[in-house]
Amino acid sequence: MDFIPTTDADKQNMLNHIGVKSVDDLIQILKPRLQHKLDLSRPLSELELVNQLRFLSQKNKLLKYFIGAGSYNHYIPAAVAHLILRGEFLTGYTPYQPEMSQGTLHAMYEFQTYICILTGMDVSNGSLYDGSSALAEAALLSSSYKGRNSIFVSKGLNPEYFKVLKTYCEGAGLTITNELNEDTACVIAQNPDFYGNIENLQYLSEQAHKTGALFIVCVIEPTSLAILEPPGNYGADIVVGEGQSFGLPMNFGGPYLGFIAVKNFLFKKIPGRICGMTTDINGNKGFVLTFQAREQHIRREKATSNITTNVALMAIASTIYLSLMGRTGLVSVAESSYSRAHYLRDKLESVGLTALNTKPFYNEFIMQAPFGTSKRILSNLLGNGILGGYDLGEDKMLICCTEMNPIKDITSFVSITKETIT
Amino acid sequence: MKLIFEYNENDSQHISSIQDLDDNENNNDERLGKYIPVGLPDGLLRKELPLPKVSEPTVVRHYTNISHLNYGIDIGFYPLGSCTMKYNPRVNEDIARLDGFQNLHPLSHEDCNQGSLQLMWELEEDLRTITGMDAFSLQPAAGAQAELLGVMMTKAYFRREHQKQRTKIIIPDSAHGTNPATASMCRFKTITIPSDTRGNLDIDKFRQALQDDVALVMLTNPNTLGLFEENILEISDLAHKNGTLMYCDGANMNAMLGITKPADQGFDLIHLNLHKTFSTPHGGGGPGAGTLGVRTFLKDYLPLPRVIKNDGKYVFDYTQRKSIGTIRFCYGNFGMLVRAYSYIKSWGNNIRNVSKNAILNANYLLSLLKNDFEVPYDRSCAHEFVLSSRRFGDKSAMYISKRLMDYGFHPPTIYFPLIVREAIMIEPTETESKETLVKFASALKCIAQEFKEKPDFVKGSPYTRHIGRLDEVAATRKPNLRWTPPIHPD
Repeated sequence: MDFIPTTDADKQNMLNHIGVKSVDDLIQILKPRLQHKLDLSRPLSELELVNQLRFLSQKNKLLKYFIGAGSYNHYIPAAVAHLILRGEFLTGYTPYQPEMSQGTLHAMYEFQTYICILTGMDVSNGSLYDGSSALAEAALLSSSYKGRNSIFVSKGLNPEYFKVLKTYCEGAGLTITNELNEDTACVIAQNPDFYGNIENLQYLSEQAHKTGALFIVCVIEPTSLAILEPPGNYGADIVVGEGQSFGLPMNFGGPYLGFIAVKNFLFKKIPGRICGMTTDINGNKGFVLTFQAREQHIRREKATSNITTNVALMAIASTIYLSLMGRTGLVSVAESSYSRAHYLRDKLESVGLTALNTKPFYNEFIMQAPFGTSKRILSNLLGNGILGGYDLGEDKMLICCTEMNPIKDITSFVSITKETIT
Repeated sequence: MKLIFEYNENDSQHISSIQDLDDNENNNDERLGKYIPVGLPDGLLRKELPLPKVSEPTVVRHYTNISHLNYGIDIGFYPLGSCTMKYNPRVNEDIARLDGFQNLHPLSHEDCNQGSLQLMWELEEDLRTITGMDAFSLQPAAGAQAELLGVMMTKAYFRREHQKQRTKIIIPDSAHGTNPATASMCRFKTITIPSDTRGNLDIDKFRQALQDDVALVMLTNPNTLGLFEENILEISDLAHKNGTLMYCDGANMNAMLGITKPADQGFDLIHLNLHKTFSTPHGGGGPGAGTLGVRTFLKDYLPLPRVIKNDGKYVFDYTQRKSIGTIRFCYGNFGMLVRAYSYIKSWGNNIRNVSKNAILNANYLLSLLKNDFEVPYDRSCAHEFVLSSRRFGDKSAMYISKRLMDYGFHPPTIYFPLIVREAIMIEPTETESKETLVKFASALKCIAQEFKEKPDFVKGSPYTRHIGRLDEVAATRKPNLRWTPPIHPD
């Protein structure tokens, strides 16, 4: 396939107008030039392409997922994909020209509002790449705002997020510690944490503020915010996280949706695009990208973040998702996830596993299997088409439920586990 | 247009219908009922959740209507320089949404991931063939993140080579803002080198700046003026003799596919923006995907995991100890990798026709416009070119771009690169017809004429959009960044 509308006659005509014989004449200056075609496969027709790629996609095996750990299997109403596939949303770019982009900007303003409502914060940006890099950006922001170089990470942070944070901190010359002192730029806590625990973070927040550090809450399973106290109410200065649960497929890890929301005093430090409402010359309400003076294309080497392209379309998808769900729908997702997880925990306990969460948990929890059995449990589950959780080692499994796990699958999970250990 | 928060209807999506999935013999409400989270301790539960109440028909209509306020490639010509706004093949959207790709959990067992891993492995192979690089990471989420990765790797490399004195990065004054911003994020100092009269990096000034404290040269080729760097081989040679690495900002790869390989030009690292060159949709500002390619000596520093092939099976490799770590959750924007892969397979070994047609279109459009606007560098261009409208006065690039909207076109990039006054940066891409280019050129010529005859009219544009010129200054002076619920007196 090619996607070139120009006919050979047109091409000749264009070359004549330019005053050259061939395209090669236009690139004489370019050194060195390839003499042969690239060693790629022959071009495929659309039909061939679809067949090959369908075949490839079927080499993957989908499972009944009882795993989260940063990526959650939630139901996505059909209207989400239909709307984001509209060419007006799909094929535009960053709204540099607001008069051409009111659709994207309008949705971005709604997205910012949703994030503020859910997190209990004052200002949100229009999105960052994903939750893990959003957390890293928040750490850099804190360091630059406070002029301090140490990042305190509370235990229970998703290990993948920790890795990304560590990489960014090494690049920027920041250190990660578990000691609070006068060089601590920020204190980071995930809630619910990696093990599903719902933490009361009031005390940690007070400790952070006592040392003059910013308090960052990271939310990776944001459906929890439908029922849990918003972090803005327990002292968060910055809330970052992952919006994938809001209407985005798991997609083998991306594209996802990073978000960052801050209290008012930090809003000029926030990285990435921000949409603001204003008026046009006739007094009509409209939207623009605002406070662009923070950004790399203006500040260049003085910018604190280099972010440009973010994930606007994913933010629109989430905005549509949240609008479709409304309060009732979102709460039903949260309650369904919560109750299924607790039901499964009780059932697994009744067949001989030990529940390890000592605090309230949301939709993920740790089970301790009898010595030497967890690998066999997970593998027997896999044999029955169930991805039974995240292997934490030492016979501990991190298990997740959402509204997508029907009782009959929970029942098979339990009976396969029981058969394995007896 | 109303905001979604300003409706008051029944909300119609209730996930409680999930129970239809469950076996009907038992009463699930009874089983699950006792697990409702109302019993959580005080301070943990939310007291209110003021989300809008809107029915599904209204939601669909709302977002369809606001989409009409947007302009995209599907509607018309979008010559936004440096952004490569080419047609996004629809089949790639369908392919990326195939069940097996879209609904795969990233932490699935390798035996369940073979299709996705094979796709990533083969995409890496194709990108190696296209650029001449030796290894790729598909992990970065966008070009700017790939740049960050490249600079982090450079830092790690020199640390390991005991050359910590290399604390500076050379960047031309025509570079994208991300280049210096990235350097700063990794605590490098930027040395800015001016461009010469032909739009190349000033080679004498470059030579002077190239001391033993320079870690990296970051170049965009063709540069942001749309010009191939004429001295690229000499620049690379000088840098390498100095022990300095060469980084290619591959934002403009659309001019080089199958025509030249960045590795042959002497680059040690390159990032590719898959959403530009390889046609994954821009989505109103992302998601993108920003792969990073490197030469062999840097391969071990790439982020983990890497996909490798072992006895015909694809596996993730986490073993490389020199790796700088992980730059993004899991493996990158996989959905965008699928689209780019499909795009490359569609073109196959004819892919050079992309760049040839992109270069032809740009030069043709330049030839149509060069008598009406100033051309700061009088050379054949690559896949894009920069004009100056300074003869029409201050802010004229902005006025012209607003007026173009009335002619039904998305404006080009303006005021970039910073070194051209009243810059208008035009990138037509290969997917536009001659007819479109002629119409666009005529529109610009008409506006040039209008500017002479009735400048105030041009300055008041646009007139035909849903909204007039927006007040960006007021947006900054009185920030309104979110909707707040009206306060009802009880």
